[in-house]
Amino acid sequence: MPANPSDQPTGALGASSSTPPAERLLNLVIALVNTSAAMTKQQIRRGVAGYGDAPSVDAFERMFERDKDALRALGVPIVTVDPGGHSEEVGYRIDNDAYALPPVDLTPAELGVLALAAQLWSDKTLRTDISRAMTKLRAAGAGEAASDAMAGLAPRVRAVGDAYGPLLEAVTERRPVHFRYRAASTGQVSSRDVEPWRIAARRGGWYLVGWDRGRQAPRVFRLSRIEGRVRLTAAAGAFEIPEDLDVDALLGERTGRERTAVLAVVPERASAVRARARVLDPADLPAPTPPDRDLLAVGFTSLTTAAEELAAYGAAVVVLDPPELRAEVLRRLHAAAALAGPAGAPPGADAHADADKEHDRG
Amino acid sequence: MAERADDRLVRLLGLVAYLDARGPVPVAQLAQHFGVSEAQIRDDVDQLWVTGTPGYWPDDLIDFDADAAERGVVHLTNARGMTRPLRLGTREAVALVAALRAMLESPVVQADAERRALVGSALEKLTAATGEAAHAVDVRLAPDGRPEVLRAVTTALARGRRLRIRYVNAADVTGEREVDPVRLLTQDESSYLVAWCHRAQGRRTFRMDRVLAAEVLDVPVSAAGRALAAEPEVGLDIAQSVSDPAVATGTATVVLASPARFVAEEVPTESVRDLPDGSFEVRVRVTNPAWLRGLLLANAAHVRSVAPAQVAQDVAEAAREALDAYAAVAGVPGARPSDDDAVG
Repeated sequence: MPANPSDQPTGALGASSSTPPAERLLNLVIALVNTSAAMTKQQIRRGVAGYGDAPSVDAFERMFERDKDALRALGVPIVTVDPGGHSEEVGYRIDNDAYALPPVDLTPAELGVLALAAQLWSDKTLRTDISRAMTKLRAAGAGEAASDAMAGLAPRVRAVGDAYGPLLEAVTERRPVHFRYRAASTGQVSSRDVEPWRIAARRGGWYLVGWDRGRQAPRVFRLSRIEGRVRLTAAAGAFEIPEDLDVDALLGERTGRERTAVLAVVPERASAVRARARVLDPADLPAPTPPDRDLLAVGFTSLTTAAEELAAYGAAVVVLDPPELRAEVLRRLHAAAALAGPAGAPPGADAHADADKEHDRG
Repeated sequence: MAERADDRLVRLLGLVAYLDARGPVPVAQLAQHFGVSEAQIRDDVDQLWVTGTPGYWPDDLIDFDADAAERGVVHLTNARGMTRPLRLGTREAVALVAALRAMLESPVVQADAERRALVGSALEKLTAATGEAAHAVDVRLAPDGRPEVLRAVTTALARGRRLRIRYVNAADVTGEREVDPVRLLTQDESSYLVAWCHRAQGRRTFRMDRVLAAEVLDVPVSAAGRALAAEPEVGLDIAQSVSDPAVATGTATVVLASPARFVAEEVPTESVRDLPDGSFEVRVRVTNPAWLRGLLLANAAHVRSVAPAQVAQDVAEAAREALDAYAAVAGVPGARPSDDDAVG
């Protein structure tokens, strides 16, 4: 899925080109659909309107290659035909059997779903892709959409960024990629060579899941930490994507079984925690507890996430159990208490005991 | 900005296939169907009129009925073989199928049998037509809060009814208010209810996981609520709407160690600057001091510095109060009822 003609600087064709790219592309499609056998590059340059504008053989070659890539990216099945016999020049035609969209008989309510799906992406690239898909479905006769069944719903996924295009191409064609990546644990940037398996969005982040060739292990990369361009480094079909790929397991979405925390909470406070908690009877606890606080039991799976949420409540929530969660919250509070210390004295070391942060956040 | 050549090409090809199947169609109707202006449709027709097969003699060109064109009707008379609609490209199929999959798996769709069947059948038809194993992209939307709250919100949205909600804000203050629901905005990170709030007499956005209870009232939504719902892009500006603009108190600058990088990625920031040692500086707009205090308490171990100093003092004071509370309330190891009996 290469760049589109309109993404290219117009310099190479610029002044000498008078035919708009859309018109040239359209003429090429019509010519290749209608040709009886195939057209050679020579025939295309001489015969198809727009290509005569190219001032040199090189300029024509660049123009034609780019157009061919752009059309393939749009789903136009351009095939090369080996001439055989004495001729040395390959020909091009459009595979008419593969050209057409199969009939899609969508009800008005299903079209309403599609219209909602078309708004899901915040990303410009994905919006372009999906609006083109909608144009094609309309061309195939899709009627008016009815949106009653999905009234008021508005699903949205945040923008993914520039890495999406090359990564999607790499995943669909199974081509390895090379990029520079900023590790969250150290902040250092290093080069990575990855066999990309899947692009995933979870909890506000976009991730690449794949095989890290340098580390010889599956790895998860947050797309926003990729620095610079993503390069595709080999031809298509360079590796296999595991059939039993478990994206959620690799993203740490399943961080083990749920555990229970016991909290002493100031009355009327921490309602968001209360909403998913169970009230405990102090008599059931093995030790006396403060009479002026409510006792709550609440489930959690990630120690880090739970400690962050509970530390944010300050004095309103005290963790009674388990001890490791209490310690994690206390560690945060001690660091926070030191924030207003003497100027220039940074709070203590922060590297230890945060091993599951990376796991949680990717 | 000029339209991209490939977007235009897709529509030009689409117009020919559509007109070939439909027969004559008025310009206005075509414009509506393809979601472009009438002027754009006339430009497109002019463009098609001069394209065709090599040679480009009159019989080689795509042709329209000139008399019909005079009357504002597009009547295709020669399609030059371009009668079939173009299939979807890989990227287009991925964008569509991944969006439908994410919608299908979202709680708001799963919670309702009719919606689930509808999204499921749309996905099935699309997958059959694209013939793509479009698994390359895998998106999951955020949970939508408590099931009974979700049910009340979607019911009120579908029936156009007012809601009474109990809501706890970022400052941990709980209150009740009546709202006209406008949108349920399911984002990848959190879900929000966009509504006309009768207490505030204005538009407010509520995080679904902070809506503690919701009750559908037998009152139709107000004119103000309907007006808000009619705005096409309502609810896209989460960062602005989630807190009360009246209490905006300026910005704070925080330097964080690298492991807290997700803060820059998940919190609305005005700017992010990478520092040479791998740490980074974020400027955040403070619309709610309690929210910033909570954020800094949660991530204190990674905070290198905070400005203005007043914010750092505020956080440190809250932390000292909390440490006092911890000193007063001893831990009770083994207090949890049973880990097998986890509370959801």
